[in-house]
Amino acid sequence: MNDFSTVMERYAHFKNNMLKRLYKKELTYYLNNAVGYIVIVLFAVFANFLFVKDIFVVGEASMRPFFGIVPWLLIIFVPALCMRMFAEERRQNTLELLLSLPVSEIQILLAKFFAVLTLIAIALVLTLGLPVSLSILSSSAGSSVYFPEIITGYVGVIFMSAMFTAVSLFLSLKTHNQIVAFLSYVLVLFFLIIFSTDFVAGFLPRVVQTGLNYVSPVTQLDGFIKGVVDLRSFFYFVSVTTIMLFLSVIELERRS
Amino acid sequence: MITLSHVSKKFGFHEALRDVSFSTKRGEIIGFLGPNGAGKTTTMRIILGILAPTSGSITIEHMSPIAQRMKLLKNVGYLAENNPLYPEMTVEEYLLFIASVKNAELYYDLLYEVGLEDYMHSTISTLSRGYKQRVGLAAAIIGDPDILVLDEPTSGLDPIEQKHIRDFISRLGKEKTIIFSTHILSEVEDIAKRLIIINKGEIVFDGNKPKGKGKVESLFTKIIMAEEHAKKKKRGVRKKIKK
Repeated sequence: MNDFSTVMERYAHFKNNMLKRLYKKELTYYLNNAVGYIVIVLFAVFANFLFVKDIFVVGEASMRPFFGIVPWLLIIFVPALCMRMFAEERRQNTLELLLSLPVSEIQILLAKFFAVLTLIAIALVLTLGLPVSLSILSSSAGSSVYFPEIITGYVGVIFMSAMFTAVSLFLSLKTHNQIVAFLSYVLVLFFLIIFSTDFVAGFLPRVVQTGLNYVSPVTQLDGFIKGVVDLRSFFYFVSVTTIMLFLSVIELERRS
Repeated sequence: MITLSHVSKKFGFHEALRDVSFSTKRGEIIGFLGPNGAGKTTTMRIILGILAPTSGSITIEHMSPIAQRMKLLKNVGYLAENNPLYPEMTVEEYLLFIASVKNAELYYDLLYEVGLEDYMHSTISTLSRGYKQRVGLAAAIIGDPDILVLDEPTSGLDPIEQKHIRDFISRLGKEKTIIFSTHILSEVEDIAKRLIIINKGEIVFDGNKPKGKGKVESLFTKIIMAEEHAKKKKRGVRKKIKK
């Protein structure tokens, strides 16, 4: 083969970073596909609407109600992005294609993980109009918005999204069926979230209540929403995310 | 080059491969022949390291396809069964992606050679089956690997497309080791130098391809029929014993 007319030159800067190449492929899929845009826009519309509809009722210059809505939205929107990841790759047999290429399982997994996280970040960016509007509204009423609290709130949501994405990817790996992947994820996360609600806590003994409350991601997000970066919460999100990614790599490395 | 030694593979209670052993030399074109469900795809997946054998060992150029897969797979091209592709990509995007992952360059010569030069900007999902197969084949040979593993490369293609792909494989076989699976007997007759026949997970023939038209077919039929006959006979004996 001759060494002329290569079409790789414009990709030269990508040459030494495999993760970047895979990440780009994953992200391009969503950006060239209606699914990505629909999920992002719907998330932004729901988040904005659910917050704005009560803003005058609450009468508080705070984003806390918004951050209270987000975990419930993530329950639906994260698997909508993740469920195709491995379930679809398996269905189309493209996972076999990926495994026949000189890429590691960790690279395959992290590329998907960061691609989904990027899309969630884009969706969150579309909600940034809320604190700005809130600030304008509150200043006209002689009040003010506490921005550090909003910043830590968004940081917390990113950590929570990372955890949800890792759980979702793992469940997507465990099944060949997208619907099963979606439902199992919604079930797992739904139970994790309701552990922190007073409704469920009321039925349980105190010791169990405290334990389950700690396991709930909503409890861990609470500190971030109040403007406190609690190391325990940070550790919780990072460790659950890492464990789920680790389990996913093991699942991918299984050659059964 | 490729050495399989006493390889067995079980899926639950089903034994897909039983004590499979063979080795290949550089520059060989091996036709891997067998009826449906004989274990051809499982063997190929084990060669690529996509599946791990339940027992036995496999090496490619003295390297393990599982432990050293990253290094090894740079030198192995694979066309999987049913040719999985990313249908939303264009041909160019897909081949560039494969090239970038293999850390290789994509040459336009390759596209001319497989006849894809007019379809560079076509979305893969819009291509005919034959052209999709060409894309899969082009992806397999990106990076100029020494070993090509092709799982049913002409399956489902019309005779003209089949001929095109066969001719291409024959050309590639002059400088590469190619192992291709098929259940099309004439394909083996046309391009293979060596023949391995697998039936129900066991290798039942490994040798040079018999010369002459229709010889492969008669050999294959003879072996498979003999196997079936022996099994029926065995079952018949068992029934008699039970009686």
